[in-house]
Amino acid sequence: MLYRLWYYSRETFVSLWRNLSLTMAAILTVAISLSLVGSSLLIREGAARATAQFQEGVEFIVFMRADATLEQDTAIRTVLDTSPAITRYTYVDKEAAYVEFQQLFSDKPELVESVTAEIMPPSYRIVPANPETGNVAEMARQFGEQPGVKEVATATDAIRQIEDFSNRVSQALLVAAVVLVGVSALLILNTVFTAIGARRQEIEVMKLVGATNWFIRIPFMLEGTIHGLIGAALAVPALFVVDHRVLAYFQESDAVPLFRGFAVPDGFVWDTSIWLLVIGGVVGMIGSAVAVTRYLDV
Amino acid sequence: MIRLDGVSKVYKGDVVALRNASAEIQRGEFVFLVGPSGSGKSTFIRLLNREEIADEGRITVAGKDVGEMSSWKVPYLRRQIGYIFQDYKLLPKKTVFENVAFGLEVIGRPRQVVRKQVPAILELVGLSRKAERLPDELSGGEQQRVSIARAFVNRPLILLADEPTGNLDPGTSVGIMRLLDRINRSGTTVVMATHDRGIVDSMRRRVIELDRGVIKRDESQGVYE
Repeated sequence: MLYRLWYYSRETFVSLWRNLSLTMAAILTVAISLSLVGSSLLIREGAARATAQFQEGVEFIVFMRADATLEQDTAIRTVLDTSPAITRYTYVDKEAAYVEFQQLFSDKPELVESVTAEIMPPSYRIVPANPETGNVAEMARQFGEQPGVKEVATATDAIRQIEDFSNRVSQALLVAAVVLVGVSALLILNTVFTAIGARRQEIEVMKLVGATNWFIRIPFMLEGTIHGLIGAALAVPALFVVDHRVLAYFQESDAVPLFRGFAVPDGFVWDTSIWLLVIGGVVGMIGSAVAVTRYLDV
Repeated sequence: MIRLDGVSKVYKGDVVALRNASAEIQRGEFVFLVGPSGSGKSTFIRLLNREEIADEGRITVAGKDVGEMSSWKVPYLRRQIGYIFQDYKLLPKKTVFENVAFGLEVIGRPRQVVRKQVPAILELVGLSRKAERLPDELSGGEQQRVSIARAFVNRPLILLADEPTGNLDPGTSVGIMRLLDRINRSGTTVVMATHDRGIVDSMRRRVIELDRGVIKRDESQGVYE
């Protein structure tokens, strides 16, 4: 059994080495396409986190002062409950705000440690009847003047645009990635086909002396799978670069304070990486399986 | 050991390779297949190994119906059949030892078996001292000995040989025939397709003559024609 494992790995690596230029091309294509898949997922996640507070029609948020009195709070709530201009609202208390803060900044523990639930501002997330920008701005101004209100954040056009932008970017990346994943599967198929061609004599002898079909196939299947896995492994550092350089760039820009939420925690990047390895392995396996069934007449 | 009942094989374009051929070969027999090129000798051999499948009739090898056999069982059939070619089919980048060992490795035999069997078989074919040579450093006769060693290292019941002396001079051929004779005397059934009149006439073994796919003659202790 051990001997057979040794045989498979020897045959696989000899073949990889013999076929180096095609192998490199296949691996790099997998790496690039999976980097794009990963980046698309990261941007999607980043946008979802950045705009988490403005989902489902919420157009503006009234943040209360942490030390607002009960009367001040009740006054706001009464307006919200009675005004026909308000379709609905949700109240986020200190505890809930703190939990959300922890989630958004889960990769910055020093930031999470510096705050407590007690200093988090409770807030009202408001869905107005008329989401038109001028109307929202006017309502935000009125709430902002009420006693006990710390500030009012609106889902400005800029935010909506950026949300839209990141959607488009991640979709475009995803389309390119899907095409490239197809290309990498074809390249792997071709590489394995070439490897089969290079070993035609050996395969012929193997068949004649009675090697089983799977014994002949496995080194080629392994070869394709390894292309996929190495490519995916190369895409993992690329993902961290995207996370730490590109997304961090958005976070650091002061233009839109909300973009500070455009942070994707390392945990999410690792989860994505595992998916990339799975995709890479599967793509490699499919590519080589097709090559083996089409060109290896066993 | 081998039995053909009314076997026919027709290739594309209505080329008849074998027509209604029947024969029975006992364990331990040595059989020459003779006949001109295109008479069906190679097809006869390839059918036994299931490289080809008969269109009609029934072929039994070592108790198994070769035509009905499911394809995953074919490798196990082939492990009982050694196969020798006119052009040796040695792997050029492997040494003599590695070429012979390859025949055992790829059917999953453990390394201890390889280490024991390969030197023994190289001794038998007289190539012990050339174990580390590459095929292109050997003469044609020596290369054919390597191919016989690879075919026989797993101690098959049957040895099929398709023109094994076709590329060799008469003197060298005699050496190869002595080796095949020795293997046959150890109980292995040998079926050999050949054009070599001198060999057939001097060995005086069973001869099956094919002519345009039909068995024309089948006699024990026969001659070429």
